[in-house]
Amino acid sequence: MKRLVLFLTAGALALAGCGGSSSGGSGSGTTASGNVNITLWEGYTETEAAAINKLASEFNATHKGITVHVQFYGNNDYALQKVLAAIAGGKPPDISYLYGSWAPNIVTNPGIVQLNSLIAQDPSFNWNDFWPAARGVATVNGKIIGVPALIDNLALVYNKKLFAEAGIAPPTANWKWGEFERAAIKLTNTARKQFGWAYVNDASEDTVWRYWAMLWQAGGTILTPDGKHAAFNSPAGVKALTLLQTLAQHKSIYLDNGSGNYLGLFTSGHIGMLWTGPWDLANITASKIPYGVEILPADLNHQTISGPDNWVVFNNGSARTKAAWEFLKWLTSPAVDLKWATMTGDLPMRASVTKLPNYKQFVAKYPGVGVWVKNLGNATQTRPVSVLYPKISAVVGEAVQSVLLGRAQPQQALSQAEQQVNGILAAP
Amino acid sequence: MAAHALSGPAGERRGHTIKRIAASETVAGWAFVMPAVILIAVFALIPIGWSLLLSLQSNNLIAPGHYVGLANYRALFKDHQFRSAIGHTVVYTAIFVPVSVGGALVVAVALNRKIRGIRFYRLAVFVPLVTSTVATGIIFLWLLDPTFGLFNYLLSLVGLPQQQFLQDPNQALYCIIAMTTWGWIGFDVIIYLAALQGIPADLLEAAEMDGASRLSTFRSVVVPLLGPATLFLVVWSTINALQLFDEIYVTTRGGPLGSTTMIVYYLYQQAFQFFNGGYGAAIAYVLFVAILLVTLVQMWIGRRRVYYSS
Repeated sequence: MKRLVLFLTAGALALAGCGGSSSGGSGSGTTASGNVNITLWEGYTETEAAAINKLASEFNATHKGITVHVQFYGNNDYALQKVLAAIAGGKPPDISYLYGSWAPNIVTNPGIVQLNSLIAQDPSFNWNDFWPAARGVATVNGKIIGVPALIDNLALVYNKKLFAEAGIAPPTANWKWGEFERAAIKLTNTARKQFGWAYVNDASEDTVWRYWAMLWQAGGTILTPDGKHAAFNSPAGVKALTLLQTLAQHKSIYLDNGSGNYLGLFTSGHIGMLWTGPWDLANITASKIPYGVEILPADLNHQTISGPDNWVVFNNGSARTKAAWEFLKWLTSPAVDLKWATMTGDLPMRASVTKLPNYKQFVAKYPGVGVWVKNLGNATQTRPVSVLYPKISAVVGEAVQSVLLGRAQPQQALSQAEQQVNGILAAP
Repeated sequence: MAAHALSGPAGERRGHTIKRIAASETVAGWAFVMPAVILIAVFALIPIGWSLLLSLQSNNLIAPGHYVGLANYRALFKDHQFRSAIGHTVVYTAIFVPVSVGGALVVAVALNRKIRGIRFYRLAVFVPLVTSTVATGIIFLWLLDPTFGLFNYLLSLVGLPQQQFLQDPNQALYCIIAMTTWGWIGFDVIIYLAALQGIPADLLEAAEMDGASRLSTFRSVVVPLLGPATLFLVVWSTINALQLFDEIYVTTRGGPLGSTTMIVYYLYQQAFQFFNGGYGAAIAYVLFVAILLVTLVQMWIGRRRVYYSS
């Protein structure tokens, strides 16, 4: 706790110098020979850390005049505070990995470089080749604040053995909610401590985003088109929450308290199905459990939800900004993007990557990953890109939780949440 | 703290000679305390001052903020979520402090004996304290898991109904109390053990010769002599309890349905999830003042009630 309060005050300290110090000298990273040194901050571990270093050396070897220095700054969770402190200190990195959820706040900082004009001047960059969900999160009120660094989405992962034991046909790409619901109930076996499905029930964004996917599948939206009112309290919203309620009442959902226990329980055969992303794939593969991956079941459609992150560029003068841009352009170009994906198992960020000849090797290396890539086409909507979103998420998280715990009816929970969200949106 | 350090060496001033000596002593004194003064100033006083300024701002901790006067404090008084966070924190503190301090006294008396394996028992009581709070939280998440946890298994063995523990809004807070008591009691026990061993044997002998029973010796001799230790532990535990954060962050994240949202967890949510830095700082300041007042009251009561032997 003490650390937290100090942290808060340190943040305030960092801000003290924020106003004027955002532009470093343009020559500070340039040596006499004209070489531009730029710094990239990342919080990767293991495979991804090795991959980013390898690609940076490759870039340095092939691009005369620019040297990229990759610096590990610790857990990505703390990246924002560190970058802010560095901006205040006058020495921000040139590029930093930042969570997509921070985008609406980051845009308020004068130290970042908006990429709109760079992208507009450079048709070869082909911005529209990035998946729509990734572009959506990098764009705040029309201002592009970063280049997509990661994209994922939720798909259905299932245990083939449990399906066979229960005598249920495995999920297909045409699955509907009804089939999903019946399977989840049939896979439930209290005596064997076996659950059909798992749901993260800590009322955090982890609880909320799975619900948004269901809301969209039922044809609902989060907010009204003008973004000024809640729209989730609709027949679609109630239908989605009722599906959760039904499965909770059948004790078919393992309610994970946010610690991620669901993964170990899935790999030990206690859970039949997960809605999860490629980040769990390595552990699932390692467990040798017979698994399959399929897109999410549909009510009206098969929409999924995506949580992209960004490479954000900071202003250290035009020479370094240009160098940073060159590097990001190269890093996210289709060929290099595929290389990155093949090294790490991350999904490619561009649609055109799937048409490259080597794409087949990537899919073969990570069984099931192809479904997640295809599923990016189902990630057609994004969460509201707004500084108010975390508050909205907290309200909806409690609504979903109250239904899962049997404390409220779906309609009642959503009406209450709607009222609170409208209050948040109306506040000055 | 710093006020104390500053007033110390300022010295008496009587006549020139003394003044000169005082002056040189002042220099020497300052030289000695300077490292501590700098550390305290940089890591405590300046942040405390800054967070006061921050609490008067609308500030997302990302872009420069602007001053809004007392608006954050005014909003706090109308914030029902803040009020329920205060409620949870008060309930937590009101149970945690007597249970952990009282429990520690019982355990310390039990451990203050010469029996075989006493070192092992003492170690066993102390181990949870040196276990990181995060590890404690993760262990308890598994122990208290409704389906796969050890506690429900034990309940099933004796035929008691299965509980939801941390997933039940009515039980979660009490589970947190039990968990943190387990985690922190080792410290209280150590303090009490040291205090018990500082009780002069002749006093206990005298009580025995006067015919006092063991219970009345404990009540009338041992407990009063442990007064300073008790006062310290009550003050220290209260401050810790009012600032509870780690265990909540790791286990319930303030839930289910907000039932374990403590003041500091609410502060964290506001400042680092909702980006209301100024509002978070205002919460920190209200808590700071509350802790100061509670501590002063406890010290005031302590001064009247606690017996200092020397």
